[in-house]
Amino acid sequence: MVRWHLSPATRLWSMLEEGRSAVLQVDGVAKSYGDHVALHSVDLSLVPGEVCGLLGPNGAGKTTLVSIIAGLRSADRGTVHVDGIDVARGGRAARTAVGLASQETAIYPTVTVRENLELFARLAGLGGRALWSRIEEVADVVELTHLLDRLGRQLSGGEKRRLHTAMALVHRPRVLLLDEPTTGVDIATRSRLLAAISDLAAGEGCAVVYSTHYLPEIEELGATVAIIDHGRLLARGSLDSLVDQHGSGLVELTFEGPAPEAPGADCSGDTLRVTTDRPGPVAARLTAGLGRDAERLVSIDLVPPSLETVFLSLTGRIYRSDEGTDDGEGSIAAADADVTGETAR
Amino acid sequence: MNAASRWSRIEAVARHDLRILRRDPAFLVIFTVMPLAFMAFTERAFGSALALELNDSGLTGASVVVPGATVLFSGFLVGNLGFGIFREHGWGTWERLRASPLSTGELILAKSIAPVLSLALQLAVLLGGGSLLFGLDLRGTFTAFVAVAASLAVMEVALGFLLLSVCRSVIQLNALSNAGAMLLGGLGGAVAPVELLPGWAQAIAPATPTYWAVVGFQDVTIDGAGLGGVAVPVGVLLGFAVAFLVLSALRFRVEETKTAWA
Repeated sequence: MVRWHLSPATRLWSMLEEGRSAVLQVDGVAKSYGDHVALHSVDLSLVPGEVCGLLGPNGAGKTTLVSIIAGLRSADRGTVHVDGIDVARGGRAARTAVGLASQETAIYPTVTVRENLELFARLAGLGGRALWSRIEEVADVVELTHLLDRLGRQLSGGEKRRLHTAMALVHRPRVLLLDEPTTGVDIATRSRLLAAISDLAAGEGCAVVYSTHYLPEIEELGATVAIIDHGRLLARGSLDSLVDQHGSGLVELTFEGPAPEAPGADCSGDTLRVTTDRPGPVAARLTAGLGRDAERLVSIDLVPPSLETVFLSLTGRIYRSDEGTDDGEGSIAAADADVTGETAR
Repeated sequence: MNAASRWSRIEAVARHDLRILRRDPAFLVIFTVMPLAFMAFTERAFGSALALELNDSGLTGASVVVPGATVLFSGFLVGNLGFGIFREHGWGTWERLRASPLSTGELILAKSIAPVLSLALQLAVLLGGGSLLFGLDLRGTFTAFVAVAASLAVMEVALGFLLLSVCRSVIQLNALSNAGAMLLGGLGGAVAPVELLPGWAQAIAPATPTYWAVVGFQDVTIDGAGLGGVAVPVGVLLGFAVAFLVLSALRFRVEETKTAWA
């Protein structure tokens, strides 16, 4: 298998800014469900070979946006073009250019891995030797070659998840939509999937919209980032540029019992939190001023400027990755802090 | 996209569905073997009743019980189309198919093929088995017999589409299709001849499609009808099919979420 050496996301972002033709163009897409506005005029562009991490908490509008791009839902306003084809009007041609792996694993358990892949390859018009060689190729990418003749129901959870992803890319889509593809999978499967996605973008020039809760995955993929919250696109760019524009470091002190008040710090429950470009000196100043409360100090976290702090800055929410727990879910904890300045109130 | 690729997409889904059916044929096997047993249990009793009613010693119970059991038990396959689509919802593959190059029309047509072929197989086994095992005598033409069977299958798949469009869970579909099969079969004269039903049931029997299927089969097996002789029952069955399809089209929402097991 050919491994792709990740090119910097900034290079892809510059291509887009330089006007390289987008393979996915979302313009002013809005969607409401009754009184609930799921998306407010969202714009998004991806160039071939770009992986875009679509980041946001539950209910942010990620799945709605992915569904509209896939043609499963119609937008109330705005347009989506895939490879120059209007998804709302282009119907079949647009759907042929898109591959979708939804949040829930969707495979046929009573047929083999090969037969699962065969159906979607045939629906996209593949046939004859090209069909079988493509199935072998995709199985190799997701490391399922040795399981091609096994029934779907006989696969492990991680193998099912890899098949689920493979079914979305078997027809060589121009745009691949992956909605939280690593939810509930183990670390090994996650690594395999991330490697496969990187290979696909680099090797086949496929643009990938990668919806996720997991910030580290975006960093690992070298993806550009789109942060979405409450149906609004809050930021879009390369990881480096977003960190430059919005990222500050963070100091967090956690106590046994309620956190004490401290000047210039946000006190929330058992946590004192300060955003700063200089986490080290600020941590030293804070701990020096704790007095007897120092005995209740449980931990000190110094977070350098990163996607995590960009997220905090833009959404006012703390991102906490709980990787390694049983369900593998990350979580996004609400914080009342105003974190746009150097220090939080 | 040209017609050839349209048919190749439909064929791909149909082949896939038949593959799934081959891997788990229990439902079809049970509803094909069980009616043959039912025929064995009731054929002599129906023969005696028929001899008394019509005073025609040339007729056997098979003339009534084979078409009746065929119509009754084919009704249990009405839910097949719906079960197939509910299963797709349960596996999460329905959205996957919707996001594929298939149009909604192609998707529904493709998903109808395995149920139609299942019904055709069941009808062929029941009518063929009835002929071989119980001496069903076709006094009319084979073509007329096939025309009635084919129009029954078309009507039942259309009815299956209607059930799919109104049911939100597989439990609802299961209950409606089983109860519907018994009710329509009973009213239509598939369980006992219409002449032996209560007066109120005799009055509403012609409003059921199963009545016309039984009439069509018996026109061939008892009255010796040819194709022209079954034109009315075949026409009425196809009329029911059109009505069911129109109602289904008005109600069906391809994007509607179906609950697989609740």
